[in-house]
Amino acid sequence: MSFPEVQGVLKKHCLACHQGKAPTGGFDVTKLSSEQSLNAQPRLWARLGNRIRNGDMPPKSAPAPAPETRDRLLTWLDHTLQTVACADGISPGNAPIRRLNRDEYSATIRDLLNIHVNAAHALPADGAGGEGFDNAAETLFLSPVHAEKYLEAAKQALDYAFTDTKARAVFLNAEPGKTVTPEEAAQKVLAKFLPRAFRRPIAPSESDRYMVLFRDAQKRGESYERSIRYALQAVLLSPHFLFRYEAANPEAAPRLLNGHSLASRLSYFLWGSMPDETLFNLATEDKLHDPTVLREQIARMLKDQRSREFAERFVEQWLNTRELGRDIKPDAKLFPAYYDAEIQGAIRYEPILFFQDILAENRSITELIDSKFTFLTNKLEKFYGLPNTKLRQQPVRVELPADSHRGGLLGMSAVLAVSSYPQRTSPVLRGKWILDALLGTPPPPPPPDVPELAEDHSNSAVPKTMRERLSMHRDKPACAGCHSRIDPLGFALENYDVLGQWRTTEGGKPVDSKGQLPDGAEFEGVEGLKNVLLEQKKVFARNLTSKLLGYALGRGLTLEEYCTVDAIVADLDKNNYSAHTLISGIVLSVPFRWQAGTAQNQPVISDNLSRREEPK
Amino acid sequence: MTRRLTRRTLLRGTGAALALPWLEAMTPGAQAAVTKSSKLPVRMAFLYMPNGVLPGAWTPEASGSDYELTPSLAPLAEVRNEVSILTNLWNQSAKGGDGHYVKTSGFLTCSTPNKTLGVDININGVSMDQLAAQKLGGLTPLPSLELCTAPVTTGVDKNVGYTRVYGSHIAWGGPTNPLAREINPRLVFERLFRASGPNQNSAKEDVLLLDRVLEDARQLRQELGTADRIRIDEYLSVVRSLEDRIEKAGRPERRTWKPRAPINAAAKPEGIPKDHGEHCRLMLDMIALGFQTDTTRIATFLFSNAVSNQNFAFVEGVNSGHHSVSHHQKDPDKMRQYQIINRWHVEQYVYLLRKLRDMKEGESNVLANSMILFGSGLRDGDRHDPHNLPLLLGGHGGGRLIMGSHYVFSEDTPLANLYVSMLDAFGMPVERFADSTGPLTPIIHT
Repeated sequence: MSFPEVQGVLKKHCLACHQGKAPTGGFDVTKLSSEQSLNAQPRLWARLGNRIRNGDMPPKSAPAPAPETRDRLLTWLDHTLQTVACADGISPGNAPIRRLNRDEYSATIRDLLNIHVNAAHALPADGAGGEGFDNAAETLFLSPVHAEKYLEAAKQALDYAFTDTKARAVFLNAEPGKTVTPEEAAQKVLAKFLPRAFRRPIAPSESDRYMVLFRDAQKRGESYERSIRYALQAVLLSPHFLFRYEAANPEAAPRLLNGHSLASRLSYFLWGSMPDETLFNLATEDKLHDPTVLREQIARMLKDQRSREFAERFVEQWLNTRELGRDIKPDAKLFPAYYDAEIQGAIRYEPILFFQDILAENRSITELIDSKFTFLTNKLEKFYGLPNTKLRQQPVRVELPADSHRGGLLGMSAVLAVSSYPQRTSPVLRGKWILDALLGTPPPPPPPDVPELAEDHSNSAVPKTMRERLSMHRDKPACAGCHSRIDPLGFALENYDVLGQWRTTEGGKPVDSKGQLPDGAEFEGVEGLKNVLLEQKKVFARNLTSKLLGYALGRGLTLEEYCTVDAIVADLDKNNYSAHTLISGIVLSVPFRWQAGTAQNQPVISDNLSRREEPK
Repeated sequence: MTRRLTRRTLLRGTGAALALPWLEAMTPGAQAAVTKSSKLPVRMAFLYMPNGVLPGAWTPEASGSDYELTPSLAPLAEVRNEVSILTNLWNQSAKGGDGHYVKTSGFLTCSTPNKTLGVDININGVSMDQLAAQKLGGLTPLPSLELCTAPVTTGVDKNVGYTRVYGSHIAWGGPTNPLAREINPRLVFERLFRASGPNQNSAKEDVLLLDRVLEDARQLRQELGTADRIRIDEYLSVVRSLEDRIEKAGRPERRTWKPRAPINAAAKPEGIPKDHGEHCRLMLDMIALGFQTDTTRIATFLFSNAVSNQNFAFVEGVNSGHHSVSHHQKDPDKMRQYQIINRWHVEQYVYLLRKLRDMKEGESNVLANSMILFGSGLRDGDRHDPHNLPLLLGGHGGGRLIMGSHYVFSEDTPLANLYVSMLDAFGMPVERFADSTGPLTPIIHT
């Protein structure tokens, strides 16, 4: 869209109310009439975009632009504002203090004490903010119940750890003896434990504070073990342990994060847990900012089993499959197969293990759309109708036969079930899921006061099949704008039932999985759909990159950070969309490695928006 | 907004059959007043049903006490004299925004949340239960209970521009502080048990420990910027209140609370049952237990989160998800199922009322000394309408409330007026709450 064309739209749809002495809502669009306003008034432009995007404007009493015009306007606006925002570089965003979320707490206690119990089992679940993840600083609230639970959880975890030989070996590195006084032993234990618990080096005075508790317990006549446990319990309740924060940058200009802060960002991104000894030492030696070192560490970390945590949390929230078995439950009478523990676990872990494998093996992220392998258990293999390869109860990687109808996320039960109703499939839900989760272009909600299309009126008069009913969308201008994008994508998946089992007929009629895109292109079935998506792999990659960057930063992205995203996508395009290009692009980026100074929005002047060294 | 507690307030609301130290939190003058009172504590609970109701099957035709029960309200027959139906209240602040998140999060605050995916989350108010908890929650071991059956819904809703955090919270301790809910009845039981039981052996040690933690937090606070201090202040506040509670529990002479009934440790629930109905009833049991033992006097419970599509196929005549059928589009079969689901929720409500009524308390029972509000933040789930909200109020609020009627107020009476009256009956009268225009006069003895 050209600037004059944009002005034409604004004139036609906004100007009548939004001008003059008292523009409606105090919003004067004449302030946006020059191209210069894009530089001078980016916030005003952004506000305009948000109001239109949310469907708040124009109001329903006024004529709205055609959906296609609206979409083009918004695309133009996003692109233009972003270009303006990062023309002079990227300013590192905020990194607000935040507590460990429930999963991070559990994994951190596990690694700190080397115990294998879920210490967070009694903590309440966390809500999501930012790019849609529950590690977002903004939605990690504290309630009175947290304090109670932290107190209990620390007691229980330590109770367990003190009875476990393997655990004791990790954190109880000294005991009093002939040559060692209890005081000295306690000093040694704290000297090792505190930097690990606080994820940074500590000052001697910090250790002294906990020694006070140790001595108190000794004075009460407690044993050495009970005394040191008492001190460690306080460590586990300290905000230095429970919260992640980065020492403020006192300078005006942005600076590189200190090594230990970077180590924590890295470990909570790729492991959802504390840095291990290797990362900690690299930080201490000030080597962690070296791109070569970082790339080696990324490769190592993605191979480590702890990356399961990352895959699980990221994938389940990105694809919304976390809701499967919670709010979204296949009907037990119609789909009893789901109510089998092995199947349920296999369905849940298939996309997680698949994603983890793509990262660990540095495959192309386009394999998320189409692949020749997946992860199956014996029962899931049978459930998918695949030839039996004598699998067991634990999921393993399986090469798929050429004609399997599987491969990629779209052939997975978890994805197909979470985008269905409990009783039946819905092309609308599935199409919407693809637009939202895979392409990052969620359709807006239906316009107010337009009666929703009766998608399954079993007794409605004329149209009978789902396809006939949904074709009514095309005939209604209010619906067609979005549904011409949504419905065809969903129809392509109609060969999968609610649980993702393959079917060729539905209700006695052959399944029709043909679709036509708004531009007229025709395609058929899941194979056709995969091709459509692969043609849009840049859009897919941009969405996945922005989700991952949001997850890595634990917050929503700023406009400028979409320039980082675009730079990473450009790298991906040159590097066969390899997973390590994606992850290292994020880790090496300005938002991930830099820290803002006291001056607001001061950009990091770098020749590249993200680092672009080719892997050696 | 919050007035100093007067002698009359105390006599009326908090009451005390118990001993003097109970109200140490109050001024010395107030203590003297309380010891002369023989009134029982008043409790309040809020049961939130997502997705609204089928209007035609909800509101009775006649007003007053001779109304005929509608299909959805039929279960009220058993408790008819203890319940009132409230018609024509609305939540002005919940118009617009979106269909669910705004309606749910603002149900007890009567304020409008910021439209956000999270970064500037703000309800722009405090929920009335927490207003009460902050003022009088110190009278019981736990200031309040927040319960649900499902974890916070995953993700943000980019479709409408709200974080789903909004749809999962009705209790707000402050504009940016939604309170975490518990969903496991076993953990709630353990919490009640721990809070109410005599757990003094480690109290002294715990207090020392928490002192250390508070010291750490204060010191860390110095290193942080203004925005980050807010989070540490939250931590300081929750740790301080825990410390205070443990300290009281550990020193009988300082204790301001005494259990009204013992908790039987053997009655501990197993965990989260598979059956949704059983899960709901166990959570309601926990509210009843908390009220009976006076471990808390304030509770909120969400049957599920906003937009819940809980499959109700376990109820005879239903084969669909809750949110799906709430968008009935006048389809007779969906309307029928939707109505059955509404009625099922009323049955659970009646379950709690009966349970409280069966708990004897002196000459009366716990229900008579409670106010149990049942409702949804929208009326017709097909229209997302915050006018004429479906609301039921049960219990006589310690004799202050007049039950047994279908009250039809003038159109668009603020929901906040109800809260003004409930706070009054609870013992902390306020001049105003949010957009209130006065008390809800006919339901309360003044």
